[in-house]
Amino acid sequence: MDLLPVTDADLNAYADGQLAASRVAAVEDALSRDPALTAWVADARRHNADLRDALDPWLADPIPERLIAAAEGPAQTAQASVRRWLASLAAVAASLLVGLGAGWYARDMDLERAGTPTTFTRQAALTHALYAADANRPVEVWASEEKRLVTWLSKRLGFAVSAPDLNSTGFALVGGRLVAGHQNPTALFMYENGDNQRLSLQVRKQMVDGGEVAFRYAVENGVGVFYWIDDNCSYALSGNVDRAQLLAAGRVVYGQLAALEAAGKK
Amino acid sequence: MTNAMSPVADPPLPQPDLLAAIPRLRRYARVLTGDINRADDLVQDTLARAWEKRRLWAAGSDLRAWLFTIMHNVFVNQRALARREKIQISLDDGGEGDEAWQIPVRAAQYTRVELTELLQHVGRLPADQREVLLLAAVEELRYEEIAIALTIPIGTVMSRLSRARAKLRNAFADAPAGSAVLKVVK
Repeated sequence: MDLLPVTDADLNAYADGQLAASRVAAVEDALSRDPALTAWVADARRHNADLRDALDPWLADPIPERLIAAAEGPAQTAQASVRRWLASLAAVAASLLVGLGAGWYARDMDLERAGTPTTFTRQAALTHALYAADANRPVEVWASEEKRLVTWLSKRLGFAVSAPDLNSTGFALVGGRLVAGHQNPTALFMYENGDNQRLSLQVRKQMVDGGEVAFRYAVENGVGVFYWIDDNCSYALSGNVDRAQLLAAGRVVYGQLAALEAAGKK
Repeated sequence: MTNAMSPVADPPLPQPDLLAAIPRLRRYARVLTGDINRADDLVQDTLARAWEKRRLWAAGSDLRAWLFTIMHNVFVNQRALARREKIQISLDDGGEGDEAWQIPVRAAQYTRVELTELLQHVGRLPADQREVLLLAAVEELRYEEIAIALTIPIGTVMSRLSRARAKLRNAFADAPAGSAVLKVVK
């Protein structure tokens, strides 16, 4: 038997059940002779038990998602973030593909590199809001004079423009007008559907070189704007309609412009 | 065993064991930080660090003890950093910095008022004593494991444990049960 004097370390170890077997007899002998030591051990054990009682309920708390992801490790975390990224990309891509056909979104990158002239979308939205809200005179030249409208706008813009036909989406041409642009004048075609909702397509010469097709969607002051660049022209289709409607119209516009372009190159 | 010369990637940590360790890591982190949100940040940092350092874990050894070690190191580093920043802001701001320790105690979580009171007292312990007490009393680690986890000599483990227990006893002696002013946070 180990008969060294009982120390604090012995008492702690005894209370925690970690005391070496060779020391147990010495400690128990000391306890039997000193009620203060007995009380000390009793307190320590009670505190241990109470701490576990107090803290054990925490073990049942639901684990946050971020900690589960962290436990799954960096590879999984990276995969998960790629998955999330792909999912968000897929959502964007799906809307683009549904609306505007393949090939657009890849060129999104080009636009980002070239610097998106966000001022055009804002300007387009403001212009749309200004004229679409005008019940009596939303346009300068009415659709009944479409041919004169197109000729006039083409002349003022310096290149051939045409008013896409959006009847298949329920929007009829109201007419058009010339609006001031940042650097170049801008043509505006206004459309309206049976619910008196209006869309406007604004077209202007694109000053940034490259001629890439690029595409973006923005909401400016509550007006949705689809904006793209094609063949050195910027297009902005704006409306207070929902995104799906705007996409449907955008698809038609783009399709018709592409067809015209293809016909012109033959 | 891992082969240091092997060109293969570091072996992954056992994910089920890591997931299983989270509740205890969170509990330990809460007691260390005294703040539920900071505790989860600490757990997240600890898990990330464990993956970074996974080569240092000997497969088959006690993963939980190893994770406590990592958490301790991350916590100490963060606290040292915070303290340096604090010193730059206010040179005369003394104290341990533990005054912010406040584990939210849900009303009615404990039927016994002593438990709430005990947590309050534990919260007022210096962090290094609190750490040892928790690992010994709640996590029931062996003193040798605690010494390894905290990279301190076993004598230091014992002296911190003794001081922690002495303070708890004194706290209860000074403030008879039920008289403590409790902060109850919902």
